[in-house]
Amino acid sequence: MPRRRLSFHRRALLAGLSTLPWAKAWAFGEASDFVPAMAQHGGKWDARASGLRRVAYELQRRTSVEVVLEARPMPLNSPKLFEHPFLYLGGQGELPAFKPAEIEVLRRYLTFGGFILADANDASDGTDFDAGFRREMARILPQSPLTPLPQSHVLFKSFYLLDTVPGRVLKKPQLDACWLGKRACVIYSQNDLLGALNRDEGGTWEFECVPGGERQRDYAMRLAVNIAMYALCLDYKDDAVHLPLILKRRR
Amino acid sequence: MEQTTFNTWKWVSLSPLPTWLLWAVGFGLLAAVLLASWGVRREPSAGKRVTLWALRVLAGALALFFLVEPGVRRLSVARAKNRVVVMVDRSASMTFPVEPKGATRSDQVAAALAELRSQAESLKDLYSVEWVGFEPELAPVSEEQLRKVPATSSRTDLLGALRAVAAGSSGNNRKLSGVLLFSDGADNAELKAGLDRAGESVLKELGAPISTFQAGKSGLPDIAIESVKVDDFAFVRSAITMEAEVSVRGFKGQTISVVLSREGQTVGKKELTLNTDDELQPVSFTFTPDQTGRFVYSLAATVMPQEAVVENNRRSFSLKVIRDRMRVLLVVGRPSWDERFLRGLLKQDPNVELISFYILINNTDLRSPENELSLIPFPQDEIFAKKLNTFDVVILQNFGYTDPQVSISAYERNVEEYVAGGGALAMIGGDRSFGEARYPFRDLGRALPVERAGNADVQPFKARLTPEGMRHPVTALATGARSTDAAWSAMPAVPGINLTRAKPGATVLLEHPFVNVDGKNAPVLALWDYQKGRVLTLATDGSWYWAFPSHASGAPTRDYERFWGNALRWLVRDPDLTTLQVTADPPSVEPGRPVGVAISARTPDYQPADGAQVTVELISAEDGSKAGLQEVTTSADGTARIEFPAMPAGAYRIVGKAKKGGKSLGEAQDVVAVRAVGPELADSRVDGALLEALAKRSGGKAFTLPTVNLRDVPLKEPPLVEVGRAKDEPLWDRWYWLALLALVAGSEWLLRRRFGYV
Repeated sequence: MPRRRLSFHRRALLAGLSTLPWAKAWAFGEASDFVPAMAQHGGKWDARASGLRRVAYELQRRTSVEVVLEARPMPLNSPKLFEHPFLYLGGQGELPAFKPAEIEVLRRYLTFGGFILADANDASDGTDFDAGFRREMARILPQSPLTPLPQSHVLFKSFYLLDTVPGRVLKKPQLDACWLGKRACVIYSQNDLLGALNRDEGGTWEFECVPGGERQRDYAMRLAVNIAMYALCLDYKDDAVHLPLILKRRR
Repeated sequence: MEQTTFNTWKWVSLSPLPTWLLWAVGFGLLAAVLLASWGVRREPSAGKRVTLWALRVLAGALALFFLVEPGVRRLSVARAKNRVVVMVDRSASMTFPVEPKGATRSDQVAAALAELRSQAESLKDLYSVEWVGFEPELAPVSEEQLRKVPATSSRTDLLGALRAVAAGSSGNNRKLSGVLLFSDGADNAELKAGLDRAGESVLKELGAPISTFQAGKSGLPDIAIESVKVDDFAFVRSAITMEAEVSVRGFKGQTISVVLSREGQTVGKKELTLNTDDELQPVSFTFTPDQTGRFVYSLAATVMPQEAVVENNRRSFSLKVIRDRMRVLLVVGRPSWDERFLRGLLKQDPNVELISFYILINNTDLRSPENELSLIPFPQDEIFAKKLNTFDVVILQNFGYTDPQVSISAYERNVEEYVAGGGALAMIGGDRSFGEARYPFRDLGRALPVERAGNADVQPFKARLTPEGMRHPVTALATGARSTDAAWSAMPAVPGINLTRAKPGATVLLEHPFVNVDGKNAPVLALWDYQKGRVLTLATDGSWYWAFPSHASGAPTRDYERFWGNALRWLVRDPDLTTLQVTADPPSVEPGRPVGVAISARTPDYQPADGAQVTVELISAEDGSKAGLQEVTTSADGTARIEFPAMPAGAYRIVGKAKKGGKSLGEAQDVVAVRAVGPELADSRVDGALLEALAKRSGGKAFTLPTVNLRDVPLKEPPLVEVGRAKDEPLWDRWYWLALLALVAGSEWLLRRRFGYV
């Protein structure tokens, strides 16, 4: 699809910014930066570390968000978990049951503002990681079962305008979510979202995206950016000021 | 020996026999007469038969006469004086003229009372006449008083006055023979809608006829704001509708205008065309208050030259304009966790209407066409040039750009003026704010309580309360300084600080425990009043650590929510967080009444300010002239009350300033409306129908002044009572009564024998 030319105001908006030395501000630390944390659990938890780094990199490159590229491995009962409101919880194969203390910490983490991006790296459905994750979420938030995230949710417009939820594969047409009030505190992909962004040691994509190939990978990247932006901005793009333009562009 | 004068008499029985025995003997005599008559029923000669019957009846009657022993009782009696109450309406409507430019209704009543007083002389033996005015309390009244002392009562309560008369409020306990009521009938209390069942029960309780004398004439040309209906409060920037009724008499075919104004500024104007000579026209105004506070609004109708009363053409009311929801503008330099938790807090608060703009990009490498993005241009002009004044609070979070497309450099002056004019600004730190900002904010910087003092320090630190912070409502996380200090001590460390220095006059509430600027601990949280507005600076982007990492230990805390809640309330001058409050009491003052002001002063640590010197000025809201000035010292609970003498009608702003020990405790304002006329003077109408109804239902008569004729006034007669002694004179002990009895009995005996009976 040919790219459209930038409008005048957008060119004006972006031109000056591109020249600014935004690499990092005058050394203010990382406290408010996007520092991805990766949940250390009893299963295979770090298969998508490279993909998570890629998400942070793309977030920095495409948005104004300041990031720390390297994900922080985070034991589930660590008090440090509360310094990282964004937690990636991925896995491949069986997910061992969480300890009661971990359940308690995760419940508190989600209740008071934390966000979990869960990702079935094995694209399982009803078995392996999927079965284990659903089981553990039922323990963490028994009142908030995983339910499909509607296409009208702000996550699909938090940065890019999206209508698909691709990953390395396209097995499930929707994301699932756990809700605390109006806030989706857990987003769960069964399409191995970060598998589409993982690179091997040689720097090439580790997996093929099927069935959509590179276009699917691009949309997986956009989805990952949108999820991160939703974690940071919540329902900002649901504000009335955005709606006319978004509706116009969706037509 | 004392001579007793008897002025009346009556028949009495002087028989010593008991009454029942007299009745029994009487019936016995009657039976005997009938039996005797029965014995001659076959006498063929009617003459003989009748003669015998007559003699026997007469003999029986005479026997009864002697048995009863009749006599005459001579008595001395007199009539008890009852009271008659002459009631005169002393409500302010009695100052209306009877005719345009003529004498007042009270003058008309005074003339009638003079006439009545002379007529009442003839009844002084029968009645005790009381002359009272009702305001509505009863008080003696005279013709001179009516002429010289204007009626001022703000209420006409005919029923209340009649109840007082029935209860003998005047101290006279004699029976009531009648009431003479002089009034225009313009009741604005219980009988406003006419005589109802409750009114009738009062008339029954009164038990005496009420004769009414209508003062004044109906149909005077007049325009009056009859009623004003409006809520006690309105929401800022939300439309409110006020409704009024304009009563117009005598201006058929003409057009008048009705103007609504707020403290001298016109809010709206309506034209009314008059189709008849007497009509009640509804008029309504819908307007949108643009500021919070209390304001005086006035509704004024055209004054026509022929009008009987012009004071009722204008009516004032006060309206409190409050915040529906606090309108907060959040402008964010870039998404961050600090922004995320502040947004979450603001969105959850039902009292906050959040409008936010985030700078989401800072490069062009979007790798996507524009129509696949949800980005919108940053509408600086819309926000900072056109709609800035619609926000209660502006929060600049980690925002400081030089690029003209996302900078507010061109609108800095607007923001500074917004604050100076009464707006509220919070500036939050971060890697694009204060010393880290790409833009110095030279104009806006004047409004800030701090100035940049170098690059940020990124060592984690625990913010420390200053002595001022321990007592200030913004940092009050618990009750009392010690608990608040403990709460702040328990907060997690934040990861860095923008280095600033406090300006003279700024109040630092939180400081860095070990990083110094110019030998003083670097301010973390500072604030001040900038002209009419308020500014708060938080020199870190780590306040979210108080929201989320503070839950790591498992102990639930709402200190972050409490802190920001306090900050927002302080920024918008929540009345509960001001140290001085002056309140008009009441907010609307009737004409001729003093203007009361209630004062409450607190020290900066929000304790009652005992002995604070408070100066209160009363300033005309229409021309700014000073109408009064008073000073007062507060009592131990920090309160005081003052009263200004009665003021001319209009809107006044009350400006209070307090100080204690040479230090200012702040300034506060309120407004008060002094009404041109109250409801009593709003209508010059005479209600003759009500007076007629009162007279008719109570058994009295209704008259219209100047006619006064006491002989036509129905009054209950006073009852007779015996006074002195009685004297009995027997009638039966005369010889001729005995001779008559002997003659009748003898004749009957003689004739019976002669007619052939035994």
